[in-house]
Amino acid sequence: MNYIVVVIFLILSAITLVSGVMVVTVKNIIHSALWLIASFIGVAALYLLMEAEFLAVVQILVYAGAVSILVLFAIMLTRHVTGEGTRMLYERWWVALVVALVLFGAVITPTIWQQGANWDAAATAAQASITATGEGSPAGTAVASTINIGESFMREYLLPFEIASVLLLMALIGAIAIAFEERTGRRRVLTLAEEYALKQRGIVEPRDAEGAVVPSIEAEQAL
Amino acid sequence: MVETFQQTFGAPLWLAVVLASGLKVTLILVGGSLGMMFLTWYERRAIAYMQDRRGPNRVGPQGSLQPIAEAIKTMTKEDTTPLEADRVVHFLAPVVMLAATVLTFAIIPWGNLFPSDLSVGVLFFVAIGGLHTLGMLMAGWGSNNKFALLGGMRGVAQMVSYEIPQVMAVIPIVLMTGTMSMQRIVESQSGFGGLGWNVFTPVGFFAFALFFVASLAEGERTPFDIPEADSEIVAGYMTEYTGMKFAVFYLANYMTNLAICFITASIFLGGGNGPGVNELGGFLGGFLSLIYFFIKALFLFFIMVLIRATVPRLRVDQLMGFAWKFLLPLVLVNILSSALWVAIIRWDQQAQIFTQWFGAPGTADAPNFVRLGVAVAVTIMINLGALVMVMGLNNRASQARMHTTDEELALGL
Repeated sequence: MNYIVVVIFLILSAITLVSGVMVVTVKNIIHSALWLIASFIGVAALYLLMEAEFLAVVQILVYAGAVSILVLFAIMLTRHVTGEGTRMLYERWWVALVVALVLFGAVITPTIWQQGANWDAAATAAQASITATGEGSPAGTAVASTINIGESFMREYLLPFEIASVLLLMALIGAIAIAFEERTGRRRVLTLAEEYALKQRGIVEPRDAEGAVVPSIEAEQAL
Repeated sequence: MVETFQQTFGAPLWLAVVLASGLKVTLILVGGSLGMMFLTWYERRAIAYMQDRRGPNRVGPQGSLQPIAEAIKTMTKEDTTPLEADRVVHFLAPVVMLAATVLTFAIIPWGNLFPSDLSVGVLFFVAIGGLHTLGMLMAGWGSNNKFALLGGMRGVAQMVSYEIPQVMAVIPIVLMTGTMSMQRIVESQSGFGGLGWNVFTPVGFFAFALFFVASLAEGERTPFDIPEADSEIVAGYMTEYTGMKFAVFYLANYMTNLAICFITASIFLGGGNGPGVNELGGFLGGFLSLIYFFIKALFLFFIMVLIRATVPRLRVDQLMGFAWKFLLPLVLVNILSSALWVAIIRWDQQAQIFTQWFGAPGTADAPNFVRLGVAVAVTIMINLGALVMVMGLNNRASQARMHTTDEELALGL
């Protein structure tokens, strides 16, 4: 049973890593975003393998389902839709590589520093509890459940949680403010029926969004 | 099921797990596809009668073999890909869509039978529904067709907007039952002789209505079928698909609708619970629960067909306004009133004043009717008040728009 888990782990991490590399090497930017989604789903599958179901589902909901979709949406609205190849690799790619490696090292080194000595002990403990209970998460390595996560948000990590919420609220209000300002400065564009009704009654000329007088349909046809 | 394989056939553990999972997956896949075939026939017949027509009635008795004829027809059609299309993305789009749909079937409780009891089942359903959007976007972009792209864009905007009320509409139920697992949500509704369904509480009823409407948008049912609006943008994101690929989109669409009916029936209408299930017990009780479950799900599908035959398609701006200005405030208020509901019904040590006023909280056998009555009154008041207020605000805005004078119109105000 344990070998199957190892094999599945290797396959999933290979998928995640390969898609991660493809994100930065593929030339077409839309393909790159799609590979990013594949990488997110690979991470979610790894969470599932660790029996962290809530984390896996939230990973799919937030990253694969919302963030990357918005990324794709933004790319499609701002770029040429045909998706011509854009060069993703510039001359100073090695700077990016160094930065990435340093960040990765900064994350992985303390973990190894602290837990490195415990690996063998943890592995034997996991083996022993699996053979003892037959299934389920091994004792001592219990995965945080949804209730644990919720409680730590509301007690231990309340302040960071609230600060993040306020940050998101600020972003929301800012977006609304920008959109509202632009909208109030813009005039309503009339429908053809409204325009026609106005002309029938001989009232002032209709205007377009910038406030310029719209030429009547007959005048346009006469030209 | 794993134990059965191990004990009866003496299979080793890994083989038993593989066999059991294979059997489950096969049953779900076959059941989903057969269900989709039935639904297409049923919907066309039902809508035909609502529109004073006959519907398909030539192939087989009452036209019931029509889906098979159509499947053969689509399989023999030519499979074309546009010359300028992104071939890989174009090919993968229906695959992604169908995969996302089939995955949702993993958590559906069939009466008292549970294929897999995920501890976050409800959230899983919504999260996987989000992957549906991905398929839509891939189809829209990969086809290299402006109508397909428009359809894909519309689809994404719609799905992202309606996902929010959909998730939030389930929160009251999660608060009331204290779990996100489908199995335990269904089991928690077995009180009152099998009629303790969530929909019978005011909070549950509001949540049911909001969830069902948001799900209609997620499943692209007709008032919300903006991504494939055939009178505006040909066929939306599936414009460039032919033959079996087109059929796969169709299959995914109907299977999503089927899954929505099943999930709504399980969360709000008690799943397999009904009078007589617990009393019978055993195999007969399980069979009865399956029958109840299918009746509820098909009833919901009938409502979907009824809505399709009645309501015309919304405009894009109306669609967005409905999600953000109408559904979202109501859903938020409903979460508040569900928290009050839980407090009034259950709090004992946390708020002793409740115990002084209304007596000790009831148990499953002897519910405290005073507490129940107060909770019903309070939540109905809050929810109806919110409904009236939101409707009034929306109505005022639309009235103001309607009564624009000609001079204001001419100035473009």
